[in-house]
Amino acid sequence: MKSISLYVDKGSWLNKMAPESKIIYIITAITVPALLGIRWAGMGFIVLSIILLLSGKVLKKTLPLLGVSGFVLVTVLIIQGLFWAGNITPLFRIGPAVFYKEGLNFALGILVNVINILLSFCVLILTTKPSDMIENFVRKGFSPRFGYVFISVFQIIPQMTETMNTITDAQRSRGMETEGKLWVRIKAFIPLISPVIMSSLINTKERALALEVRGFNSKNKKTFLNEQVKTSADIYIQIALLLGIAAALIWRITVWLG
Amino acid sequence: MSTIEVKNLHFSYVEGDEILKGLNFVIDSRSTAIIGQNGAGKTTFVKLLKGLLKPTEGEILLNGKGIKDMTVAAIAKHVGMVFQNPNDQIFKNQVLDEVMFGPLQIGMDKETAKIKALEALEIVGLAEEKHTNPYDLGLSRRKLAAIASILAMDTEVIIFDEPTIAQDYAGKERIKDIIRKLRNDGKTVITIIHDMNFVADVFERAIVFAQGHAILDDSTKMVFLQKEILEKSYLEQPDVMKLCYELGFKEGFLNVEEFIQGKMNKR
Amino acid sequence: MARIVIEHLKYKYPGTNKLALDDISFTIEPGEFIGIIGRNESGKSSLCQAIAGLIPNFYKGAYGGKIFIDDMEVKKVGVEELCETVGIVFQNPFNQVTGSKLTVYEEISFGLENMGIPREEMIKHIDDAMELLDISKYRDRYPFDLSGGQMQRMAIASIIAMKPEVILLDEPTSQLDPQGREEVFQAVQKLSKQGITIIMVEHNMEKIAAYSDRIVLLEDGKLIDIDTPQKIFSRDDLDEYGVEAPVYTQICRELGLKDRSSGYYPITLEEAKRILSGDRKGEM
Repeated sequence: MKSISLYVDKGSWLNKMAPESKIIYIITAITVPALLGIRWAGMGFIVLSIILLLSGKVLKKTLPLLGVSGFVLVTVLIIQGLFWAGNITPLFRIGPAVFYKEGLNFALGILVNVINILLSFCVLILTTKPSDMIENFVRKGFSPRFGYVFISVFQIIPQMTETMNTITDAQRSRGMETEGKLWVRIKAFIPLISPVIMSSLINTKERALALEVRGFNSKNKKTFLNEQVKTSADIYIQIALLLGIAAALIWRITVWLG
Repeated sequence: MSTIEVKNLHFSYVEGDEILKGLNFVIDSRSTAIIGQNGAGKTTFVKLLKGLLKPTEGEILLNGKGIKDMTVAAIAKHVGMVFQNPNDQIFKNQVLDEVMFGPLQIGMDKETAKIKALEALEIVGLAEEKHTNPYDLGLSRRKLAAIASILAMDTEVIIFDEPTIAQDYAGKERIKDIIRKLRNDGKTVITIIHDMNFVADVFERAIVFAQGHAILDDSTKMVFLQKEILEKSYLEQPDVMKLCYELGFKEGFLNVEEFIQGKMNKR
Repeated sequence: MARIVIEHLKYKYPGTNKLALDDISFTIEPGEFIGIIGRNESGKSSLCQAIAGLIPNFYKGAYGGKIFIDDMEVKKVGVEELCETVGIVFQNPFNQVTGSKLTVYEEISFGLENMGIPREEMIKHIDDAMELLDISKYRDRYPFDLSGGQMQRMAIASIIAMKPEVILLDEPTSQLDPQGREEVFQAVQKLSKQGITIIMVEHNMEKIAAYSDRIVLLEDGKLIDIDTPQKIFSRDDLDEYGVEAPVYTQICRELGLKDRSSGYYPITLEEAKRILSGDRKGEM
């Protein structure tokens, strides 16, 4: 199955939860530490996300994502550790390079924030079928047409990549070079991209017709094959999360006033 | 006249899941149709022949020389291929420019390329449309323009991928004529095709692919007489052959003309 | 059941000067199997799209005449309403996949969701359609992973699930392998037996001759003839319209063998076999 969605169905309780709850969780995980301004809060949410991902059996799927961002984060750590403007207290040295406490501390703050955001998004993305999420929005009054566009993008793009491969084969078969120097690649651009655009236009028109005759523009109230994804716990979880945000907000305001 | 030798050809995208499981044959001067169910490995085979894929084992020799180390562009000078969907290649605003693109890519000078392109358009019956935008042609004529764009490259070997899709009776007759002409000009013609009546009408040799093997390889008539093997490979006999079978003829006829001829001779 | 009446239908695509459909009139009875033949660009697809209401509701252009499905005038009802009575299946199975559903089962629900069919009823319709098209075993497969024949049967099932009374098929098998083509033809025959009106454009004359009750012959947007396959394929002037009779008819015509009872040439393998075995009297 070719789809650019990262979703995996593990039949876990997270799969069954309403997507809205997970979206509210992301908002909570980001706003609460920001409001509190305490690094431990961010770390707390990281631990919570890890526990959630573990219980959803998708923790392993986060590794490639963490791997990519990990490289960037390590770079941040090194650069800030060495060169941050407020660096005063040397902590340790590796060869000629001296790492400072203040820079590392600052970098750690960024690290915690980024990982927190990343993992809380993973909780949503890895455990939610994109179509379920959109369908829930449509139920709440979101336009079905926009809903369709959002969902179909996940499937149509991989299909277009396939067309692109065929077109590359077809033009190479006519003796066109597609690899090598920059100039060769630039010259290959038009013969490759024009057929992609034209065939996408043709396919889109044909697909539009096919959707049309399946009542895409029907004025009837839409029904759904899949039952709404939600559990009885959802509403309580959502209330708890919102209360958490509210509490953090009140705390912040009291600190300001006080 | 060029030859293509296929020796112990294996191919797999993923290890342990072979798509071609050891092909051995020589493509000779006979026009050859490769038939078989979807997924039998036909497309993979022609992609190997074009150098778009590299064999995992075995080799293909073009005129005695291995193509393994040749680039796709170098192979394109010898082997042309018409893809199934003309929309996968057309990008010029004028039919003539589109047809000249291939010849220019393989190093023909502009003068020769133009002569070859006009010749090719004549053959496919689009001489009048040389200044038309290819997308203003209907799908079946756009396909003929795509065929011309390969013919103009004047390669020794020409491969067609499902040439009859979207063609009506007249279009099919036109393509039959093109294939016969290429054959008579000494070109090697290979086709992947699902249309059995069409194969029976023009091709001299048929190779049946099934699960990565060439399970039948003989003159078209001999292949189409093997009703059981064909059905096991989810293929069918040409319609006239079905009639011969139903009538209990020992001999099979490939098409209407042969049938009538045979019948007259017996009288 | 739906009776289709076409009266003096004329149509011109926007930006063209030629009539794509030129004064076409005929009537289709409920439950009939109608084959449409003719050379490329003779108006076969346009006629289908006109009956499905895509002409003139999706394509604009100049439109004259009337098409009635029972007492509903096609031009006056939107495609979204008409599609509940008239379904249409196109050539390319690939471009009929919505791309918004992850399984075959969900894919078939697309039209029903749009129509607003209650969930319980929807499930029943989907199960029936999958059963009829023999694709229940692919229920949980990813739509784009199906073979061409399977995908086309899914497209037909998606239409059938909407319970139309008429289904139009515009060259549904031209991009399929022999097995896929056979699968689709068998499915279509099954639909016909259920009493659904079938209108099918097809280049394979042997098949269309065997299945059709009547055949529409088009040329240059005009209706040349509408009659039984026997009569259509016994015409002397088929050549002029860029179509070929089934090989069985061609052989019997060459040999001068007509069906004694009907006075026409045979059109199917079975008929040709019967006549030729009678004729052969032990020779060959």
